[in-house]
Amino acid sequence: MIARGAPGRKPARWMVLLDPVFLRRLATHVLIFTSFIAVWEWAGQTGRLNDLIMPAPSAIAAAIWRMYVVTGEIYWHFFVTMFEAVSGFVIGGVIGLGLAIGAALSLTFRRYVAPYAVALNVTPGIAVTPIFIAWFGFGWNSKIALAALIVFFPIFVNSLSGLLRVDRDTEELMRSLGASKMQTFFKLMLPNAAPMIFAGFKVAITTALVGAIVAEFASATEGIGIMMQRYAHRLDIAASIGVLISMALMGLLLFTLMEVADRRTVFWLRPERLEQVSRKRRRRLMALK
Amino acid sequence: MSDESIPGLSAEDGLTWRRVFNHLAILVAFLTVWEMLTVTGIADELLYPRPTLIIYSFYSLFIDQGIVWRHLWITMATVLSGFVVGTILGISLAVVAGLSETARRYMKPYIIVLEATPRIAIGPLMLAWLGFGFEAKLAIVTLVCFFAPFINTLTGFLSADEDQIELMRSLGASKWQILTKAMVPDAMPLIMAGIRLAMASALGGALVAEFISSNEGMGVLLNNLAAVLQMSAAFAALLTLTVLGFFLYRIMESLESWIIFWHHDDSMRRVARKRQTYWSKL
Repeated sequence: MIARGAPGRKPARWMVLLDPVFLRRLATHVLIFTSFIAVWEWAGQTGRLNDLIMPAPSAIAAAIWRMYVVTGEIYWHFFVTMFEAVSGFVIGGVIGLGLAIGAALSLTFRRYVAPYAVALNVTPGIAVTPIFIAWFGFGWNSKIALAALIVFFPIFVNSLSGLLRVDRDTEELMRSLGASKMQTFFKLMLPNAAPMIFAGFKVAITTALVGAIVAEFASATEGIGIMMQRYAHRLDIAASIGVLISMALMGLLLFTLMEVADRRTVFWLRPERLEQVSRKRRRRLMALK
Repeated sequence: MSDESIPGLSAEDGLTWRRVFNHLAILVAFLTVWEMLTVTGIADELLYPRPTLIIYSFYSLFIDQGIVWRHLWITMATVLSGFVVGTILGISLAVVAGLSETARRYMKPYIIVLEATPRIAIGPLMLAWLGFGFEAKLAIVTLVCFFAPFINTLTGFLSADEDQIELMRSLGASKWQILTKAMVPDAMPLIMAGIRLAMASALGGALVAEFISSNEGMGVLLNNLAAVLQMSAAFAALLTLTVLGFFLYRIMESLESWIIFWHHDDSMRRVARKRQTYWSKL
């Protein structure tokens, strides 16, 4: 055991590095990974793998090095796709959340919006790509529109079910204490729904990325999707795999950003954040006195 | 396309005649406004086709020229075969991996990375590997359908109740019995959710595959129609896909209530009644 420090306090996160069980497992992981890579590299070097089909890890690493360091061409494409995905996410998110709030507050609205939301859901959003390209052109706009379209539904459904899941007793209590509709919404429904809303956001942000990339596959001049397609058409598989890894990184990055936003906003579900926030608030209240 | 229904609408909120009438009235009013806007030239007819033209395009696509059938059939074949292959592969691999705790532990980091990769993005690579044709499309759909069942099955096994398994083991259950009587039924709702997700993404995967590679299928049809600005026909093709997606969704829904009957009240009652008659006959 390595629980040092004040009693009742959890050991710091980095302490796990001293734990022998963890270390042994980590070593095995690393060992498996490196031996896998080594075998792969060996097969590539001795010509047992077709370079056109599966290039050796060193070739992939060289391609990544070229993209990121020598030519640096990936950064602009990276930025374009990121921008398209994020703006699409924001637009679709605002519309989805807005409609979800409307649907949560009014049963009639919910009834009339439901069939269209269902129709939108069962249509594969990606199928709209050609139409959006005709509407919004070959530039960034069509990608943003597609990303916005496909993030709409997960955000809408998650927000709606979060907003509807209100404890009846609490609502009753707020009403009997004379809370206005606004107050009930902002103090009860919205905070209550926040975890669900963020769950929807987290699903949607990676979906937005897929939307932007697919729209770029269909037609684009810049962006990470078209970059990958160009490399694949040139049969430069090593570089394509390099771009694919970058896409995975981008997905991880966006997801992590969302996760951080979630942790900061919905602080009351995480004990350590809750403690931090309540300490800060206490200090502010003390200063007021 | 995600895999959920609209919350907050219970059975008594279902359709009454008056509501159906209201819905239709709103829809017709909307379509009339749209029609008027294009007829008067406020909206560009080239880009926003008139509803009547879309209906006419349905007629010409399905009956007059009949070109949609071949494309529809090819897309359906791709979706279904990719779905079946991908789901079976995903579940069986997850079962094999999930049986051993060590395997589960060592696979975890790779699964996390794989989950973050946009699956469809592997499309161009598949194309380079397998060429322009059915194989590449099948591979893309299989890949898209593989992950959700795989990850959900594995997660279901990972969250298996250790106490329950311990109890079964101490009662002398074999590994096979533990698997079929405890782990699989426990994980079934999650597995089913994975299968439904796979189906929901299969159609999208097939369309993307057709956009980037193929020369037939609904994706190609849509792409070609939109490229020559035959927007009314493109809309008709899109609505066809909506209907197709709706059918696939309903099929998966009833499949779910049939397999994990204990999560659905009506199926639960049906199965209970059946078992009762079976036992009373014995």
